[in-house]
Amino acid sequence: MTPTGEPILSVRRLAKRYGAVQALAGVDLDVQAGEVLAICGDNGAGKSTLIKLISGADVPSEGEIHLRGEPVRFVSPQDALTRGVATIYQDLALAPRLAIYQNVFMGAELTRGLGPLRVLDKRTMIDQASGYMVQLGSAVTDATRPVASLSGGQRQSVAIGRALRWNADVVIMDEPTAALGVRETAQVLDLIRALNGTGKTVVLISHNMADVVAVAHRVAILRQGRKVIERPVSGLDADMLSHMVMTGREAA
Amino acid sequence: MRGFIGTYGTALAGLAVFLFFVVAAPNFANPVNLLNILKQVSFLAILGIGFTFALTTGELDLSFANLASLAAVATGGLIHNGYPPALAIAAGLALGSAGGVLNGVLVTRVKVPSLIATLATASIANGCAFFLTAGVAFVGRWDPGFVALGRAHVLGVPVLVLWMAAVVLIALFVLKNTRVGFHMICTGEAEEPARLAGIRVRSMKVLGLTLSGALAGVTAVLLTANLSSAAPTMAGDYLLTAIAAVLLGMTMFEPGRPNVLGTLVGGVVIGVLSNGLILLGADYYVQDIVLGLIIIGSVALSASTLKKAAFGV
Ligand SMILES: Nc1ncnc2c1ncn2[C@@H]1O[C@H](COP(=O)(O)OP(=O)(O)OP(=O)(O)O)[C@@H](O)[C@H]1O
Ligand SMILES: [Mg+2]
Repeated sequence: MTPTGEPILSVRRLAKRYGAVQALAGVDLDVQAGEVLAICGDNGAGKSTLIKLISGADVPSEGEIHLRGEPVRFVSPQDALTRGVATIYQDLALAPRLAIYQNVFMGAELTRGLGPLRVLDKRTMIDQASGYMVQLGSAVTDATRPVASLSGGQRQSVAIGRALRWNADVVIMDEPTAALGVRETAQVLDLIRALNGTGKTVVLISHNMADVVAVAHRVAILRQGRKVIERPVSGLDADMLSHMVMTGREAA
Repeated sequence: MRGFIGTYGTALAGLAVFLFFVVAAPNFANPVNLLNILKQVSFLAILGIGFTFALTTGELDLSFANLASLAAVATGGLIHNGYPPALAIAAGLALGSAGGVLNGVLVTRVKVPSLIATLATASIANGCAFFLTAGVAFVGRWDPGFVALGRAHVLGVPVLVLWMAAVVLIALFVLKNTRVGFHMICTGEAEEPARLAGIRVRSMKVLGLTLSGALAGVTAVLLTANLSSAAPTMAGDYLLTAIAAVLLGMTMFEPGRPNVLGTLVGGVVIGVLSNGLILLGADYYVQDIVLGLIIIGSVALSASTLKKAAFGV
């Protein structure tokens, strides 16, 4: 999907203090609709903090968040989710012994009428969850399988399936490939492309510069709580990116 | 454990035990005896399903038997003193449920682990039951309509068995087919993901523990009606047998997870065992030893859910 250049999510002067630690110090950032934006930076640079603030997991000390041009204050991840901002946590937040479809629809189950009662509409949930798995190019399409029986990459597609279920248009992923092997990493990168292909905006935190070069349109680099670089990825290779993360300056 | 044996192994073992008693124990297969077993099983299963609800949300309830005794003396005392049965029944159900709510509040608000909180509630309930009866039992010629709740037969089937069937079917329906049931399961399976998905996990835990207390109240009413008497320790023995039924049930159908059908079959197996052992002339203490072995064996087969419920790991 080609980015439109219109910001879907913007932050202004966003700051967060944890006691004496200034985890984030006045960041301005625009996430453009339809893009894959990578957020990079060294350990402790403030990446996870930024994500927590725009996903509703934590509240800013200062600054503003705008979604589709409107100022927003997310009070919980659930709040952000219902407004179209889904976050996929590094541990994926799945229930391993439950089926794929149960994970995809957890907290937002489909029901149907049965006389005066409303009961779970398992058939439709299974069908739709399989549909998401197909859409994401996953090899596993039997949505009744327990998540525990899936590989790491396949579990990512279940977590992403949940974002699709909520019809989120911004999907935030915190180091989705950190715990994965080479083959599974490639699968997850395909997954990100597939997700972006369905029109979703993706914000990707990664320490892996090869991943960033492979899937991101633009990159923002944080350093000690500040945004030091924001630019398109085209023309950069992984080494140049690593250098920029380390020095906080554009590669020569 | 996977596959057929993993899913049905212990249920088949239970069937083998049943067939053994049919062959070996005199009068075991007599229809009167079998109905008698089913009656015992109905108390066990209803309490066990309450425990299953609590455990489904990831919490233990060690208070249900004493809550049942307390609710029984409250119901029995009111009947004994000539109050209308409807009031007596309502009091029993309300007391059991209130005990469950108390457990829920202690666990989710005061943050006392359920293992400890429900043990404390059990002790309080026990004390209150002795207080209400001044230590003696209520026995008498009670309202026949009330007594019929636990003694009548419908088309030859003891009404107790019908009550049990109703509880089983409702519990199955709630857990398998409703949103709230699914939310309870998610809460027990993965509390943090459930919370992140917007499920109100604390409410679900309160609900699970409350249902356990409410079903203790149901059992109390049925037990009191069936025996037309009420004593402050009358349901005490059901603590271990009902928990054993649930634990045994967790080894079958949905291995490692508390499940209603497993609890029912587990209850039947335990009912069959204690009845068969008596008919074989075994001393009463043999039952206790067997019960202990069943508990250990079952937990060894399905440890993780219980460890999480008991110790949060
Ligand atoms: N809850 C917290 N309490 C106190 N300090 C915190 C908290 N969360 C983050 N910090 C601090 O804020 C700074 C930024 O942390 P953050 O987790 O955002 O970095 P990061 O870029 O995600 O690092 P990493 O690459 O290691 O994940 C660090 O100095 C960290 O120690
Ligand atoms: Mg981080």
